Amino acid sequence: MTNAASTVTQPGRSATSEAVRRLPEYLMIWVPLLLSAAHLISFSIWTIWISFTPSTLIPVSGWVGLRNYTAVLASRNWQIAFDNLLLFGIAFVLLSLITGLLLAILLDQRIRGENVLRTIFLYPLAVSFVVTGTVWSWLLNPGIGIEKLAHDLGWTAFHFDWLVNRDMAIWTIVIAAIWQSSGFAMALFLAGLRSVDADIIKAAQIDGAGPIRTYWRVILPTLWPITITVVVIQLQFAISAFDLVRALTNGGPGIATQLPALVVYDLMFQRSQLGRGAAAAVLMLLILLAVLLPYAAWRYVQRRQANHA
Amino acid sequence: MRDRSFTPGRILIYLVVTLFAAGYLAPLVVVVLNSLRTNEEIAQGSMIGWPQHLAWGNYALAWSGFCVAETCSGIRPYMLNSALITIPATLVSTLLGAVAGYAVSLWRFRGDNWIYGIVTLGLFLPQQMRLLPWTIVLRDIGLINTLTGLVLIHTIQGLSFTVLFCRNYYIAIPHELIRAARIDGAGFFRIFWRIILPLSSPILIVTVIWQFTHIWNEFLFGVTFTTGQQQPVTAALIALSAAVADIPQHGVQSAAVIIAALPTLLIYLFGGRYFVRGLTAGAVK
Amino acid sequence: MPITTTRRRLLAGSAAALAFPAFARAQGAVKPRLTAISQWSAGSDGAAITALGKKFEEKGGIWQHSPVPGFTTEMMNKLRAQIIAGDPPACSQLKGPEIAAWSKIAPTVDLDAVVAAAGYEKVVAPDLAKLHKPAGKWIALPLQIYSTNMLFLSKRGMDKAKADKVPVTWADFNALAEKMKSAGMAYPIANGGTRPDDGQKFEASFAGISPTAYRAAIMNLDKKALQGPEIKAAFAQTRKIADWCDPNVGAQPYATNLKRFVDGDMGMLIMGGWAQGVLKNAGFKFDDYVITPGPSDNSKPVFLLNADAFIFWQRKEADLQAGQMLMAQLVMDPAIQTMYSQITGSIPVRTDVDLSGEGWSDGQRRTAAALKDAVASNQAVLSVAHNMAQENGLTAAMIDVITEYVKNKTIKPEEAVTRLAEAVESSR
Repeated sequence: MTNAASTVTQPGRSATSEAVRRLPEYLMIWVPLLLSAAHLISFSIWTIWISFTPSTLIPVSGWVGLRNYTAVLASRNWQIAFDNLLLFGIAFVLLSLITGLLLAILLDQRIRGENVLRTIFLYPLAVSFVVTGTVWSWLLNPGIGIEKLAHDLGWTAFHFDWLVNRDMAIWTIVIAAIWQSSGFAMALFLAGLRSVDADIIKAAQIDGAGPIRTYWRVILPTLWPITITVVVIQLQFAISAFDLVRALTNGGPGIATQLPALVVYDLMFQRSQLGRGAAAAVLMLLILLAVLLPYAAWRYVQRRQANHA
Repeated sequence: MRDRSFTPGRILIYLVVTLFAAGYLAPLVVVVLNSLRTNEEIAQGSMIGWPQHLAWGNYALAWSGFCVAETCSGIRPYMLNSALITIPATLVSTLLGAVAGYAVSLWRFRGDNWIYGIVTLGLFLPQQMRLLPWTIVLRDIGLINTLTGLVLIHTIQGLSFTVLFCRNYYIAIPHELIRAARIDGAGFFRIFWRIILPLSSPILIVTVIWQFTHIWNEFLFGVTFTTGQQQPVTAALIALSAAVADIPQHGVQSAAVIIAALPTLLIYLFGGRYFVRGLTAGAVK
Repeated sequence: MPITTTRRRLLAGSAAALAFPAFARAQGAVKPRLTAISQWSAGSDGAAITALGKKFEEKGGIWQHSPVPGFTTEMMNKLRAQIIAGDPPACSQLKGPEIAAWSKIAPTVDLDAVVAAAGYEKVVAPDLAKLHKPAGKWIALPLQIYSTNMLFLSKRGMDKAKADKVPVTWADFNALAEKMKSAGMAYPIANGGTRPDDGQKFEASFAGISPTAYRAAIMNLDKKALQGPEIKAAFAQTRKIADWCDPNVGAQPYATNLKRFVDGDMGMLIMGGWAQGVLKNAGFKFDDYVITPGPSDNSKPVFLLNADAFIFWQRKEADLQAGQMLMAQLVMDPAIQTMYSQITGSIPVRTDVDLSGEGWSDGQRRTAAALKDAVASNQAVLSVAHNMAQENGLTAAMIDVITEYVKNKTIKPEEAVTRLAEAVESSR
């Protein structure tokens, strides 16, 4: 430990007995951290290794160069999945951000029933992805869900068949995903809104700013760090969205809502093509890195600036 | 103080909020209503409808009646399995995450940023990539088909979240507090028990809620690393889905879904306010 | 075996050939126990395997079945995990070419002795038997047979369309569908939108148009057949069927249409025999519908085979070996096959079972007769939609093409033919 305070040793103790005394804390800190880091690194390396082997049903060693990668990149499944990821990722992150912020602002207005409303917006987080996908697949199915209800009630011109429409089905996933996770964005934003310095708000009000301008000019800018956090967490959700999509559309209609996580699972376990599945997984990781690295670099620069300031 | 005026602006706010609330509640309402309709009723109507009679029998069947192959004891034994997996994993990963988060944020050491970065990167590793490696690891330590093995997996994987949350929270604690305690002769753990832990309740609640929900609702590992009687509740729910069970049993399925979701729903019901409160300190970076 | 075999293949081969140790000795000495993995957790399949388990216990065995809720993928995940862990179940559900593929990764039990003792091979269709003895020795036992291209006709639907003739060729079928449509049925065909369902629409069309071309293209992957006129006609027929299906069904299984089918709002269903079990479970009666073999353009029945089987993994424990023995005997037993098939709506694997008695439906009798005829005229082919014709990887690639074609009306048959051929090429 390089903390200045940590070099204060108790009088009368030798260095060894000090180390022994410190052993439990070393263990309790390092063992979990090392286990976590070790499993992440080793699993990633293992997957990268497998992606270069001819593994099918079980992992085997061998070398096939980039054959798995070219096969995956050339498949329609992957191409559609990649396009869908871009569309879904951007749409979902943006819309859930906006929804969460909107809900937080609404809840911040000191309205009645705030506690109840907050619970209503948060409870979808408690539901498992499989259940979310299943229930929304009932609701959005034109033959048994909302459209049928509307027709039964007499409103026969109503159509809401996105779920079975090749071009629109991806948006059903966006809807279900926003329902599930925007509560978290709302909670984060609400926390941020509530912790804005009251003095700043008062100063703005004294300057004559109305509520909308106060929000726009004064409060929202302070939410910038939270926004980044929300984006990162929602992005993680979007990229690994698997159970939800499987339960909602299973990649359909046809293969119109394929997503990388589904392709990986499909290749690895359904088609018993481990090598190709691993290659697809590595490609997924590369996509993630492409998003995370700029973020990490930006944070690094930020920290350097803070240190030098 | 609550603003009790009824300006058009306020009315608009209430309107919008109510619309959203209705949208968010709709799925829950549908499932609850369906859990009180018989399977036939739903099959003949649509998925959205009012129950003709209250089919409480669905709940009885869901709780202790429906069959997963030979075992016809409903969802009850699987709830127990899920509890045996989720509670230990949540508690252990939360505790270890708190200690590690505390260490990384308040006791700087060589490489702490690196290891913190790697651990939180783990959030992004897709679960499909972990299935086979975990199989090999569990095999080598002899814990395949044990609940302990699953607890281990969820604990280690959960560390990514818990360390992230706790570290972001503890970083706001002033260093002087620690330094003063050290000068008084307190060590790492004493400071943790006496000073850090009492301050941690908001973030611990957040972490426990998050972990409990994720582990309770997890399906892939739960099904692959257990055998018949050890399976978690998520597996039993699949056995009721239409695609698997030939014919739609939406009534019983809805009841089972409600029962299975009760623990997490209740946690969010009672813990929701702490969730927001706990995120206050951790969110502001 | 060629002399140039590598050591590993030699080991695998000899391991697979390890016969049951003196089973007479094992039988009397220890209580048989069986660990089994399957995906049959619910519905008629779940009921059937449970009944089989009871019979196993009646014979004095300990039945330890671990159902994996979900689909075949989840079951395979579990099986794979067990095999990697060095602890395979004593037997597990597996079928088709996957039996050959999986037998290469873990040692299996040589069942030749017990099969010979029961005289089983004589009563199993040769094409089917081949799948279960990939290296020449029996390592798996088929349990039940389905045809995937039976035609279900709703009685009330037929009345509505004032039709009384059962369609025999695809031309008949198309005419009947048109008749039903003009009689007011918006969507005459009750099929669903799952991947296997789309695959079934295609394979029923293709095999019905020309079983020879089907065999060449889909089973043997012959390049010429994959680009021939028959496969193009098959895609065209598939498009017709798809147009007669309810587009709102999305990716739902056919079971959601059953009520409309029985009520006469939909008239026809191209489905496997298992639908009988589903219909029965849903409360419908055999009288509500008629079953006939799927359309075949040369008027002789075409049978698309789908057969479930159990594969036996090598175990050292004496009680598990005894359990495997007992299980093998049960699976081959005509009484057990009768019981199993009557629960699920399949037909027994054994060709010598008499279906004229109680408990069999007309549909099952017709299916069995169709199988006999089809085998005799060499028109019994393996279903691709249900992973019998090819391994899972290639099957999935083909179904990708087919399901996209079914759901996307702008894709022309020629394009589908090209895409299918490409999918086959890239999987070689």
